[in-house]
Amino acid sequence: MVNAAKVLQDLRASAERKPDVVVRLGKPLIESGAVLKLDADAWLVYEQVAIAALDIGDDTLAQKCIQALETKFPGSPRVRRLQGMQLEAVGKLAEAGLIYKAILEEDETNVLAAKRQVMLLRAMGLPSEAISALVKYLDINYTDFEGWLQLADLYLEELMYAQAAFCMEEVLMLQPQNHIFHLKYAEILYTQDNIQLALKQFCRVVELCRDHVRGLYGIKMCASRLLKAAPSKDATVTSQEDLEAMDLLATERLIALYGAPGAAAESSKVAATKWIETQ
Amino acid sequence: MGAWTVLQERDWVLIPIMIVMVLVGVVRHQVTVLLNGTPKKADLKSARETKALQRCGLLRAHGVHIPEHAFHGRKAFLSEAFEKGTYLKEPNAGNKPRGNVMQDPAYVETMMDGMKKNMMNIVPQTVIMGWINFFFSGFVLVKLPFPLTVRFKGMLQRGVETHDMDVSWVSSLSWYFLNLFGLQSVFTLILGSGHAADAMRDMQAMSTMGMGNAAGPNLSPTGQPQDMHKIFLAEKENLDLTEHEWGLENVETRLLVKYGKKPASVLLDQKKAKIAKLAGRQFPSSASSHAAAATPSAAAASKKKGRRQV
Repeated sequence: MVNAAKVLQDLRASAERKPDVVVRLGKPLIESGAVLKLDADAWLVYEQVAIAALDIGDDTLAQKCIQALETKFPGSPRVRRLQGMQLEAVGKLAEAGLIYKAILEEDETNVLAAKRQVMLLRAMGLPSEAISALVKYLDINYTDFEGWLQLADLYLEELMYAQAAFCMEEVLMLQPQNHIFHLKYAEILYTQDNIQLALKQFCRVVELCRDHVRGLYGIKMCASRLLKAAPSKDATVTSQEDLEAMDLLATERLIALYGAPGAAAESSKVAATKWIETQ
Repeated sequence: MGAWTVLQERDWVLIPIMIVMVLVGVVRHQVTVLLNGTPKKADLKSARETKALQRCGLLRAHGVHIPEHAFHGRKAFLSEAFEKGTYLKEPNAGNKPRGNVMQDPAYVETMMDGMKKNMMNIVPQTVIMGWINFFFSGFVLVKLPFPLTVRFKGMLQRGVETHDMDVSWVSSLSWYFLNLFGLQSVFTLILGSGHAADAMRDMQAMSTMGMGNAAGPNLSPTGQPQDMHKIFLAEKENLDLTEHEWGLENVETRLLVKYGKKPASVLLDQKKAKIAKLAGRQFPSSASSHAAAATPSAAAASKKKGRRQV
């Protein structure tokens, strides 16, 4: 039991969202009432389990947790946001929206409610409203890189690549060490037909994460496209020799990676080799 | 006083001081919780003001991670926004002279808050110390079970001015100080972590007497509200001076070196060439020639090597 509480605490600290684990550990704690032995932490566990239960669709458990929180903290915006999420889970989007709106009217800096409101608009199928709400939110909470990521996704859905690229640049400044974000930026650039820049970003991905397959594919695609195009006289772009070397390197690594025993199914190996040959 | 036995002293001085300090700590924690009341609501606009500065700082620090065009776009935007004061709480209040700060209710409230909290910290400690000083000055309470050098005399025998006594004896006032700092973990045990019975906070409180801390609306360390427009203008100047240096300038070479397709010396050569180029911009004479000579040969060498490995 103590261990379960510890695991839950670690999950809270690292902000991981593993609803299945949380519910599996938290459900017995709450149903047996053992959770109350945790004193002040008990309410954090209630909140955590409530969100996890909503995630996996265990409405009765969520209801129980939120009820307990409501009796403990009547009228708290944090609990009301949970109630809003519960309404969202059962599809009552408009009512949830009213709750978030009320919270924001009381306290306009409530980050949780503002975020929920954006996601609500997205769930309602109003992307442009969601975008403008999120832009307003990010103008103030500038350092929320997850917000920028979300905005990038929204823009991508609307096929607004330049804007999405802008968002990814912000994410890169906030989280420069994460290769996944570099990869996403690189792919947006490639889609925008900015091959030169995309190549550099793909290189950065592989530099940060050795033998990153998707990054290597990116390098291969960019390099072979640039090699086919007329060589540029511009000094700032990658030199022809470097391009050839990159192309070679990516091919070599990809073949090696797919060739490693047990690395990939035979069919995907064949497909990859075929693709590399056509490039 | 001499008639007191060691046991009496223990029962009537040593343990009471400790108990009183624990109790006062607990009471103070409760009172602080009461006084704190509801946290003050933050203002959206002042949050925006501070975040804008943060944003600019971030651009200056992490601008290396984004390409040239992205950096310059942001630089121009922030520069203009700061100049115009777009991010100010009251964009149009620009050069209006400021009234007396004491008439600004928000400012006075924060200050009073800080005062109240600090009073809660300082008063009990002063009272206990006075009590000990008055009733138990000159008492020797504890003998430490280990020897210490004479330097510790000032720390352990405060209030007892004797030269000859062994340093391991502890006076009443010093016992108080030992308790003040040593009861931390006891409070954590009783009150849980994050309690307000913390003696360390007293020390902080004494050094920043009476001033509310960062919670207030942009107060400088001296407690005066600052003119944000001036800060923005200073930040703009900083930004204007920031040159963009892109971290991915030579990423291809770095990657080829990482996979052993090029010797590591290539990177060094590139660096040298760059420095030479910068120097050449200032003194257009010598440096550029041999830098140019270095790069093609290295590139050729790497090409050969790459072929061989494949």
